[in-house]
Formats: sequence, C-alpha cells, structure tokens
Amino acid sequence: MTITLAIPSKGRLKDKAIETLAEAGIRVEPAADARSYRTTVSGFDGLDVLLLSASEIARQLRDGAIDFGVTGEDLIRESIPEPETAVAIVARLGFGHADVIVAVPEAWVDVETMDDLGDVAGAFRAKHGRRLRIATKYWRLTQSHFTRNHGIQSYRIVESLGATEGAPAAGSADVIVDITSTGATLKANHLKVLSDAPILRSEACLVRSKTRRRCEEDGDLADRFETRFAERTKA
Amino acid sequence: MSLSPQTDGLADLFALRGAVPIAMDIVQPAEPYLDTAGEALRRRIYLTRGEAGENLCLRPDFTIPVCLHHIAKDEPLPRRYSYRGLVFRQPRSPDGPRELEQAGIEDLGDPGLAEADARALADALAACETLGVSTGDLDVVLGDQGLFEAVLSAVGLPVGWQKRLVRTFGEDRQLDQVLDALSDPSAIPLGDVTPELLDLARAGEEGALIRAIRERMEEAGLPPHSGRSPQEVAQRLIEKVRAADGKLNAASIDLLRRFLSIHCPLSEAGAKVRQLAGEAALDLGRALGFFEARILALKAAGVDPALIAYRAAFGRPIDYYTGMVFEMRPVGGGEPVAGGGRYDRLLTLLGAREVVPAVGFSLWMERLADRRAAVTGGESA
Repeated sequence: MTITLAIPSKGRLKDKAIETLAEAGIRVEPAADARSYRTTVSGFDGLDVLLLSASEIARQLRDGAIDFGVTGEDLIRESIPEPETAVAIVARLGFGHADVIVAVPEAWVDVETMDDLGDVAGAFRAKHGRRLRIATKYWRLTQSHFTRNHGIQSYRIVESLGATEGAPAAGSADVIVDITSTGATLKANHLKVLSDAPILRSEACLVRSKTRRRCEEDGDLADRFETRFAERTKA
Repeated sequence: MSLSPQTDGLADLFALRGAVPIAMDIVQPAEPYLDTAGEALRRRIYLTRGEAGENLCLRPDFTIPVCLHHIAKDEPLPRRYSYRGLVFRQPRSPDGPRELEQAGIEDLGDPGLAEADARALADALAACETLGVSTGDLDVVLGDQGLFEAVLSAVGLPVGWQKRLVRTFGEDRQLDQVLDALSDPSAIPLGDVTPELLDLARAGEEGALIRAIRERMEEAGLPPHSGRSPQEVAQRLIEKVRAADGKLNAASIDLLRRFLSIHCPLSEAGAKVRQLAGEAALDLGRALGFFEARILALKAAGVDPALIAYRAAFGRPIDYYTGMVFEMRPVGGGEPVAGGGRYDRLLTLLGAREVVPAVGFSLWMERLADRRAAVTGGESA
C-alpha cells in the first residue's frame, strides 16, 4: 500500500518542493548518499518520494508511472497531448513562476504583436527562400499558439535543447519561444517579448496522474494525500 | 459492402479521363510536408527519424509525393497522374482511424486554368458517382481565393493588410478578427518604437531608418546575411505607420464583409458578385471574368452549377493554394468525402524551376463506402 510522489531532483524547485511538503507535515530527507534519488519520508504513511528531473516527472505522470508529481505547468502542457484527460492539477504551489513567451530581435522595430509576426512569417519564404525559423524546446506549445490561436501556418520549428536565446545571434533561428522569469537574459541577448499575452503563465504545480492504475486502497491513500495538501493550502 | 480496386470501376474512370496511374512509397521524407503545409502537420502525421537523423513520415497524402516524382522525372507537361492507396494520419480522437484509403487525380501543367479547374471538379463528381454516391446526395461547396484577392486589391487596402487577410482566408474567426482590427487602425500597436524612428518612418526617410536599424542589428550581433534585412524592417515599419495613421473608409470594410457573406448557388454567384462590384464601382479585373469562365467550363463538362454552392469565404489557409477550392460532403452533414483545389504555388515550393499550374482532388474511400452503404441500406429497408 504505497503511492509515489516525484519532486524535482535539484535546485530551487527541489528545495521549495520539500518546504511545501513540510508545510503539510510531511518531512522528506534525501538519502544519505547525495547521488541517490531515493528519500526517507515521515509524516505520511505509505508515501514514497522520488527525485526526478522536472521534465521526466511530466512524462511519468502522463504514462501513469507515478501517482503525483511536482513540476512546472509548462512541462505538463508540453509533454502531454491532452493534459485534461491524463492529469489533474491539484494545487498551484506559488513558486517556480515563469512565462512561456515569443521573443524577436529588438532590431525588428516593426514587430510588436503576433499579427506583425504573422505578416513577417507569411512573406518570409518569398524574400529569403526559406521559412521563418523559431528556436524552442516547446514545440507543442509553439505550434498551438502560432497555428491555433493566431492562424500562422508558415514557419519551421528548430528544436533547441539549451541557450535558446542565443539562436538568433548564432543564425540558427530568427525568433524564439522560451521561458522567462525576469527577462534579463532576453535583454542581454537584444531580444524583446511580443506585447500579446504570453503563451502560458507557468508555475510549479502538484499534479495527479489520471492514467495511473491504483488498487482501491491506494486510491484512498491518494485522496488522503490530496486532502492533506488542501488543508496546507488553507493554513 | 466494401469497395475493391479490381471491381469498383475507379481505375477505368481515371484511365478514361486521361490520368496515368502512379504508385508511391509509403515512407516519405517529412521535410517537404513540414515545409509546405506547415508545422501544424506534425501533430497529424506519423513522424520518424532515419539513422542519419533525417525526418521521415508515413505518407499523409499523395499530392506532395506525386509532385516530387514529377519534378524528379521532369516528365513532359501537361500530364495527369492518378493514385490510389493508404494515407496515414493521427486521428483527432484516440479511436479514430489511423489508415485511410485515398484516390485521386493531380493535373499538372495545363495552361487552360478554367477548363482544368472544371475538369477536376467534374472528375471528382464522376468518381463519387462511380463509387455509388450520386451528385444529388452531396453538398458541394466551392470557394475562390483569386476572387477574394481581386476584391481586396480593388478596395484599395494597403498591401500589408491584403496579405494578412489572404493569410487567414478560410479561417472565418481569424478573418473576422483581422477585419475588426482594420476598422480601427488607431489600435495598431506601434509598441516601444522610439519617437525618432517613428518620425523617420512617418517622413518616409527610408535611408536613415535603414541605418538606424542596421546599427541595432550589429549591436545585437545578428548575422548580416541571414534573416530579415534592415531594409525589409524599415519598409515594413513605414507601411505599418501609414496604416496606423490612415483612416480606412468604413464603407470598404462593410463591402468586404458583404462580399465574404455571399453564399449562393454557383449559377447565381457571377451575377451577385458583379452586382456588388457595380454598386461599389470596384474593378475586379480578370478575376471575375475567370470566375465566370470556370462556371461555363463546368457546364461544358456536364456539371450543373445550380447544384454547387459558392461560398465567398470558403478557402484553405495553406499558402500553396491559390485559386479554386472545393469540398463534397454527404447531404445532411458528415465528414468530407472528396476535396480538391488549385495549388499553382506548390511545385515551385518543392523545387520546380518554373511555375507549374496544378489542380487536383482526392477521394476518401471509406467515407464514400459508408455513404453508399447508408444510401443502399435505406433504399432496401
């Protein structure tokens, strides 16, 4: 009779997740060996807490490999095709705030909104012999924002696994879709955020997998864990 | 009752209409699809990677492979190709079909555009008939991007606005948003453009504007020979400032909306458009003449235009479609059983050295079989 919760394995997200659990009376202590991804949990019987990378947590929630996870909403919406059917957001945790945004070179003084960018993208092929290129690690969010929300069809996504904001200066992309909290990195790279609403305002969330198969007892246990969390939120 | 390629007569019909049958590989390079139809297709196709990292996909349609084949073989034009086989698409709902049988004709290089358009539509109707679904059992709708573009140009919209409207043509909600924005040019956001740059743009000082923009690009370390040039940015800023400062006649917006709301039998469409153009003293140039020539060509091909609906706002927001598009659905609703259109821009996008006029249609074989079964089932009951 156990349920599994995965929390980020490093950095501020890990520390804040452990603090948040402490507020709910659940103490998580990383194993003595700092390289281990197991933890010792007290304050809630039957709860296992694993340390995983934030993007791995999103995928495991989707696949039903864990019961709960603490991860960013951006990763949930990027990794899961139909988030509403696969997972439920139990609580927004008030840390890990970041916006997923579209940024273009500051020198593009004629581009202020997605409508402008749509005009540029539409004319790009004729002028440059190729599509407008967007560097991002969020291809799903990018695609639905450009195509579904703004009717822009003509662009190519260049997958970027790091330092996305450097892509325009490196010549590997024209614009970027990335996550930003303060905007300082964008500014340092002479990029500006479009003035439309961001693609997503993300923060860390406690998420429950709906695809996880649980026996009845574990289902009850999962409900009790949620209740404990809800009470923490009220406190 | 399923349809069989040996007995359903479609191969004979295609041969009779002068189309050469062609077989295509199931695994296709994905780049031509993503590059022409757009990234949105990523969600709908089955993508995989070769060992060398190249993107491959299971054939999601036949038009692009047929065109690529034609370009590679450099066959003489005009030429009609026919195809029949499975296409693979990720279903929108998890229990939807992943493999669907398509058949159709691609008509490449015929300079008689009105006749070729009419033939594509007539052949699609004949194919449905051959497969047991009669014209009377179909709702056929036709749209024409060429006519829409002619109206935009005749109304005298700034070129940037024309392009924006053409880009959303076929997406009613987005088209409507652009029209709303057009009615209030003061809402065009100029953003954080500095007053100096704005003054230069208002004064049309392109040279000085280009220098200022080039400086910014150099400062940001943007590569000088890839992507947008300072001149391109400057020209668009000038155009945008003009549009923001200009007042578009409310009557013009109203006219566009009236044009887009036209929805009538194709047999009455010419007169309706002509009347609208007459009231507003619009010169639609050759586009309206061509539109009417196509109606005559349809009649000559044995299609009654009274049985086809013309909807002025009907289009496909994919940028290689250039003129007529059509779609056929069973009367009373349901998914399309056939669709087609003119895509004069596709072959050059795929690497053809010169423009090749092209028009084609495809049939959704399972849906046609379902329809036929529903109709014959209903008759025998």
